[in-house]
Amino acid sequence: MAGDSLYLDPQIRDWVLFPITLVMILVGVLRHNIVQLIASSPKKLSRAATREQRALLRAQILRSTAKSSPIPPSYYDSHTDELTAAFKAGNYLSKPVELDQDGKPIAPNPTSMLTDPAAMEGMMGGMKNQAVMMIPQMIIMGWINFFFQGFVLIKLPFPLTLGFKSMMQRGIETPDMDVRWVSSLSWFFLNWFGLNGLYRVLLGNDNSAVNQQDLASSPFAGAAAPAMGQPQDYNKLFTAESENLQLAQGVYHWVGEDIDTRILRRYGKLAA
Amino acid sequence: MAQAITLSSALNDLSTARTRGYRDSNEIVRKGLFVLEQKNGLQQLGDNVWDFLEQLAIAALDIGQLDLADDCIHRLDEQFPKSMRVEKLRGMRIEAQDLGLALQFYEQALEKDEANVDLWKRLISVLRQQNKIERCIAELDSFLDTFYSDIEGWLELADIYASQNLYTRSQQALSHVLLLAPQNPFHALRFAETAYSANDVPLALRYFLRTIELTTDDESGASSVGVARRAWFGVRLCTKHLLSNPGAVSESNTPPMKKENLESLDILAAERLTAAYSSTQAKTSVPGRTEVLKWLSS
Repeated sequence: MAGDSLYLDPQIRDWVLFPITLVMILVGVLRHNIVQLIASSPKKLSRAATREQRALLRAQILRSTAKSSPIPPSYYDSHTDELTAAFKAGNYLSKPVELDQDGKPIAPNPTSMLTDPAAMEGMMGGMKNQAVMMIPQMIIMGWINFFFQGFVLIKLPFPLTLGFKSMMQRGIETPDMDVRWVSSLSWFFLNWFGLNGLYRVLLGNDNSAVNQQDLASSPFAGAAAPAMGQPQDYNKLFTAESENLQLAQGVYHWVGEDIDTRILRRYGKLAA
Repeated sequence: MAQAITLSSALNDLSTARTRGYRDSNEIVRKGLFVLEQKNGLQQLGDNVWDFLEQLAIAALDIGQLDLADDCIHRLDEQFPKSMRVEKLRGMRIEAQDLGLALQFYEQALEKDEANVDLWKRLISVLRQQNKIERCIAELDSFLDTFYSDIEGWLELADIYASQNLYTRSQQALSHVLLLAPQNPFHALRFAETAYSANDVPLALRYFLRTIELTTDDESGASSVGVARRAWFGVRLCTKHLLSNPGAVSESNTPPMKKENLESLDILAAERLTAAYSSTQAKTSVPGRTEVLKWLSS
């Protein structure tokens, strides 16, 4: 085969392959540290806001246990009624609902987050992280493209089909070289995606060197997720939850309902 | 303990105590001082050194070794000047000497970060220590309204109500505990006993049975132990009461059980308890055994 006759200068290994790998690892570690430095400390929530956020949990706990509820019917009903009334009256809202002329509640304006400084800050944080993620990768890629374009760095120890050609030999336009040879630019990409495991070992599980984030989220994709602090229409959520609570009341069954027969059966005092 | 402690065993015990939340303050201080005296004791802890100092500070406050606590808090303060956790320790240090000052301290600290769970809980605990029950309940109510899933908080509220003989209210607080930790037999037992105190015997009986259901106590075991045995005592008390007063009122409108089931349960409870008090070991060493057996056969 033509590929076998290729002979790589050991200097390529020492001066190109190892440096690229090392630089990428070090940049990952550096990035982790920079992200930690620029990360803004989590914002402190007021009591009312915390209460609003956690009120739904309360209803969900009550609801999810309904099928074999640990609490007796009178307690269950009073909890349900109390929560439903509170949700309907908006007792858990941190800000009172604004009403328009017809007395209907106004939904919060989605564009208001662009003017709300708190939301802006969250988005800026995302963009800062984004920049720290992307810029070093672009610089390294430029560096490799400039100095090592067209280099063949390494031969994989296993055969691959032709479909991998564009992945393994990016930057080298040869139709008939064995796919096992890896070009410099492809080595960069392999490292980029493949070093996550190593970072996890070096920096712990929740490190910020792992690239998944910069693939998965643009700053706006992050802001769209509710966890990122986009203003939620809690009033709507609460109304929906109060309906769910009423549905759950239908499937309610007390675990103590026939406890006597269950215990008697368990100790063989009653025919099963 | 007579046997000498080694550094590794001390560190190991301390870390277990940290993760499981033991309150064995004497031991913790003894072992903590030992670690501090070793030359490389603190280095061995690595990143855990701050957790260790926090643990030691709390244990030292618990047994009144204020100098040691001061030392720990000082070290932590140098490392984390703005930390709310250190703030809490400082508050606890003040608590050790002056509750009134501590209350002010917590109030001021909460103004800075009003939704801080730790500080808020300390504030509530100070109020209870000062016996300001009314304000304590008000604060605890508003705390639980915000942090609903705090089981400790609900248990505390139930305890406060029970200490004021408000058993129905206590039951209400416990019902939230049951929702949050339905798998825990101790909570079910507590609910049952509170219901019994509130004179809601039919409900109490069901929860004593529920407690037994939640434990691993079963036929194959020769006798009931621990929480199950206590629950069997409760069952027996309830069945006796219900068999002699068939029309017992239930504030929670719990439906009465069938008479034959009640009778079987009565016999079953007596059987389980008699078995527990009939082992050879119990015959010689359990005080009050004859009284229990007499009650069981009545």
